[in-house]
Amino acid sequence: MSLQKKCKFQVNDLNLFYGNFQALKNINMDIHENEITAFIGPSGCGKSTFLKTINRMNDLIDGVIIEGTIKMDGVDIYSDIDVIKLRKKVGMVFQQPNPFPMSIYDNVAYGPRVHGIKKKAQLDEIVEESLKRAAVWDEVKDRLKKNALSVSGGQQQRVCIARALAVEPDVILMDEPTSALDPISTMKIEDLALELKNKYTIIIVTHNMQQASRISDRTAFFLTGDMIEYGETEQIFNNPKEKKTEDYITGRFG
Amino acid sequence: MDRRKKDGIANFFIYASAGITVFLLVFIILFIVIKGLPGITIDFLTRNYEDKTTYVNIQLNKGEGGIGEDGYLPVLGAYITVNEQKGIALTKIDKDSPVKEAVDGLGEVYALKNKDTLTKIEDTAIDSYEKVKDSMTQEEYLKNIAEIFSEYAGQSVKIKVVRPGGGIVPMVVTTFYMIVLSLLIAAPVSILAAIYLNEYAVKGKLLNIIHFAIKNLAGIPSIIYGLFGSLFFVQILKMQYSLLSGAMTISIILLPTIITTTEETLKTIPNTYRESSLGLGATKLQTITKVILPSAVPGILVAVLLSVGRIVGESAALLLTAGTVAQIPKALFGNSASGATLTIKAYTLMKEENDLTTACAIGIILLIIIIGINISSKLITKKLLQKKGA
Ligand SMILES: Nc1ncnc2c1ncn2[C@@H]1O[C@H](COP(=O)(O)OP(=O)(O)O)[C@@H](O)[C@H]1O
Ligand SMILES: [Mg+2]
Repeated sequence: MSLQKKCKFQVNDLNLFYGNFQALKNINMDIHENEITAFIGPSGCGKSTFLKTINRMNDLIDGVIIEGTIKMDGVDIYSDIDVIKLRKKVGMVFQQPNPFPMSIYDNVAYGPRVHGIKKKAQLDEIVEESLKRAAVWDEVKDRLKKNALSVSGGQQQRVCIARALAVEPDVILMDEPTSALDPISTMKIEDLALELKNKYTIIIVTHNMQQASRISDRTAFFLTGDMIEYGETEQIFNNPKEKKTEDYITGRFG
Repeated sequence: MDRRKKDGIANFFIYASAGITVFLLVFIILFIVIKGLPGITIDFLTRNYEDKTTYVNIQLNKGEGGIGEDGYLPVLGAYITVNEQKGIALTKIDKDSPVKEAVDGLGEVYALKNKDTLTKIEDTAIDSYEKVKDSMTQEEYLKNIAEIFSEYAGQSVKIKVVRPGGGIVPMVVTTFYMIVLSLLIAAPVSILAAIYLNEYAVKGKLLNIIHFAIKNLAGIPSIIYGLFGSLFFVQILKMQYSLLSGAMTISIILLPTIITTTEETLKTIPNTYRESSLGLGATKLQTITKVILPSAVPGILVAVLLSVGRIVGESAALLLTAGTVAQIPKALFGNSASGATLTIKAYTLMKEENDLTTACAIGIILLIIIIGINISSKLITKKLLQKKGA
């Protein structure tokens, strides 16, 4: 079914240690451009850890040791690109909607501002465009000056997506972006993800297997730091090669 | 013992302790208020502490001399009365009275006020009525004085004026200076230190040592800081008893508290703010100035307000560094920069002058300031928290 798309990330022999504890074990995978790649697996298997290696958020934690390479468009993100530049290209959306305690406008304008855009007209345009792309413009356009914490959780999450889009990334990492949301908000975010993949590469961590099967093109299954199986979503869910994968998606554990 | 009995005894002690605490608080406040209230007058609130003597030149009115029945002296355009200790006091001053255009030795206007006491006209000293009360009545005494004035009707005369003190203005001003100066020094340093400790420092032994040091600094009695300040700032740095010596010493006392409170506040700021900001490609400094600090403002403000309380209440350290002179400091350091805060003055009033009423009156002012600080810190926290959660 899938045309072979361009490879966005190449992960080679990735190992990650929190001190003595090995959280990722020898991960190798290619992540494709303009696709949604889902990471599934039980709690604590290293999904978030892996996601955070892609925009180097683990750099913030003391005592983390990372081995192996991750290349984005052929460039090693741990040695050949400035971390600020990397994070500008690889946006992130978190599990809990976490807008800054400031207005919706200021939230979305935050990224462009820290990258030096000051002109009001330009910021206005970016804010509107980003909120529109995040499918939340119509709901908040009259409340841009209101505190972002005053809108619903689902709206907050889409504002956070807009905030990530405002710096014009290529990639969006989403760490269980709907696990704190009601079903209707969840549906909106899923629709949004499907919409966004035409323009961005999306990697989503999810606890919810239906979600992975509904929206993703490829799925990777993790277990205690190992990547057990990775392939096209249809194949993983209908015809898993590994016994452990099958056990997990049929709900025998996790 | 059965459970009910145990509960009963426990409850008794809990209520009794709470009762004692409330009783003590009310009792102390009542004591201060009852003792001090008579001392709180307009003069107390608006006057200098020391009497002030000034020579002024006054262009007396022309025309009739003498004195009215009610003590009105036309050449002065003011009512006068006998003053107990010395000379005569002004009691009521006409709108166009020449005493309002009195000029001091430097040529500056020094408008006389009610209760100013005149003790000398040109070279004629005005004896106190006490000295002459056996030989004349008050009316005769005032008439004599009126005659002296009449001689100079229409002329410019040099008069010695004593403006009575008894007020707390210098202490209020000194306290205010002390608050501003100490916070200007302590707040930026401690906030930056807290940011370093919470946002930059690598967790480990060194950080533990720093935290241990800060905890212990906070526990040292302020007299120790006072001794250090009086040796280091007052003597070695030759700042003398001064505003700056005091403010530096207090700043050191405040550091651990503001650092700790600010750090606590920084700790409560969700890590996701930092992650989101950095995730958008912001630098660490941008993250701190644009997201972390604004979110920490309520906590920092509360820390600063509590510090104000601490400065207002500090005695031992200031006694040894800022001195006990009841004056408005005229410089930051050096020999005219000394000044007593309200608390210091209350202390010396009791200790050296045995003046309980004035000390308690100052106590009332201090109570009002402290209660005001506590209320505003509550309001700030509430208001800013509301705004955050809105
Ligand atoms: N900062 C950290 N320090 C030490 N261990 C961590 C840290 N973050 C995560 N871990 C551990 O790494 C493993 C993977 O965690 P995580 O990536 O959050 O799992 P998941 O997102 O799949 O639930 C877990 O065992 C977790 O306890
Ligand atoms: Mg996770």
